[in-house]
Amino acid sequence: MNRGKDETVTAAGGRTRFEVQVAAKRRLASHTVEIRFQRPKGFAFSAGQKISVAHQGIHRDYTLVNSPQDAELAICVRGIAQGSLSLVLVAAKAGDRYHISPAFGHFLYHPCAQPAVFVATGTGIAPFVAFVHGGAKNFHLLHGVRSEAELYYRSLLSQAADHYTPCLSGEREKLPGDGENFYGRVTDFLEHRLPDGDYDFYLCGRGEMLRDATRIIDRRFDGSRLYSELFF
Amino acid sequence: MKVYTGTGDGGKTSLFSGERIAKTDARIEAYGDLDELNAVVGSVVAALPRHPDSQKLKAQLMNIQSTLFQVGALLATSPGSPAADQLVPIKAEQGRWLEERIDAMDARLVRLNAFIIPGGHPSAAWSHIARTVCRRVERRVVKLASAGAVIPDGLDALLIYLNRLSDYFFVLARFCNNLAGVADEPWQG
Repeated sequence: MNRGKDETVTAAGGRTRFEVQVAAKRRLASHTVEIRFQRPKGFAFSAGQKISVAHQGIHRDYTLVNSPQDAELAICVRGIAQGSLSLVLVAAKAGDRYHISPAFGHFLYHPCAQPAVFVATGTGIAPFVAFVHGGAKNFHLLHGVRSEAELYYRSLLSQAADHYTPCLSGEREKLPGDGENFYGRVTDFLEHRLPDGDYDFYLCGRGEMLRDATRIIDRRFDGSRLYSELFF
Repeated sequence: MKVYTGTGDGGKTSLFSGERIAKTDARIEAYGDLDELNAVVGSVVAALPRHPDSQKLKAQLMNIQSTLFQVGALLATSPGSPAADQLVPIKAEQGRWLEERIDAMDARLVRLNAFIIPGGHPSAAWSHIARTVCRRVERRVVKLASAGAVIPDGLDALLIYLNRLSDYFFVLARFCNNLAGVADEPWQG
């Protein structure tokens, strides 16, 4: 990756950094925002890669959700009570400055003949948004959330996917008119609804989901490929 | 933050190219040994003697550790898989880079006229271990390659790199003893 003129090296650990300014912020759900940074000169990335955002000595990794061709860099942030950086970012204003790392990570989309199944929970949807901006198509997407309000990027994803299945783990049962919604966890869908076959599975979520989904895939879909990204 | 997910509890693991395979697979043996080699190189670094030349050696060894990650990704990827295009093959220059370092160290050592017993300064002892693990890695990779299981692009350069790397560790062991003022112990057999 080429160094751009906006790239700096921090005193702490000598890790390469870019200084970026918040260009815009939009609300995706009650505690979740998309933040767009001005893109530093020379900053390159592939759809699905992450950056580390730093503020006052705290670092956290976020997947870039926008197209690698965009003039900006976008991340999706959910403010969590124990996440001091996430709360700072959710409250960010245009013009605020942060340091970010170069893009890194290997969770990339590999188009191939086997049908792709993308499985996300919560803001683990981020790399799949990036995949869509990067041109991914012909995939089945399972997005596990508690309620419909957390189905970030629903319009974009449902238009790009062959099948888009919101998996709602809230308490109520499916009612007439609920359409494409599945009431249960993504792992319930994998266990009971996804037809037998060989797939390319892409998983992004917390460790428990990865563990449970992997066990199901090993048992039900032996012969499939599996790419996974642990989401902290 | 948990460092475990439990996705390998059933005895399978994922390749970089996505396939789920048994942990006893020859490919896993190969990059498991490569991981061991990388850890041993870390021990060589940690044991380097207090000497002005050690900073340069540390930089070389960290370069090697980085290359071993590159090799690991290659071994963890099936030839022809969609992920294979994402990887950077080993290049002939990387083997030549090792040869230059071997020659530079060797020029400062007395000529050998007997086998030497591995050991001496801790950094030399670790370097001999690195040499033997590297040979094991090389044998594993040759076996995988002969089964057509290694990405062919850059395979020759990879095999040369691993072969030179064990030579590098042999010379490095002697060089570390030299820096530490420890004489090589000739075999009296």
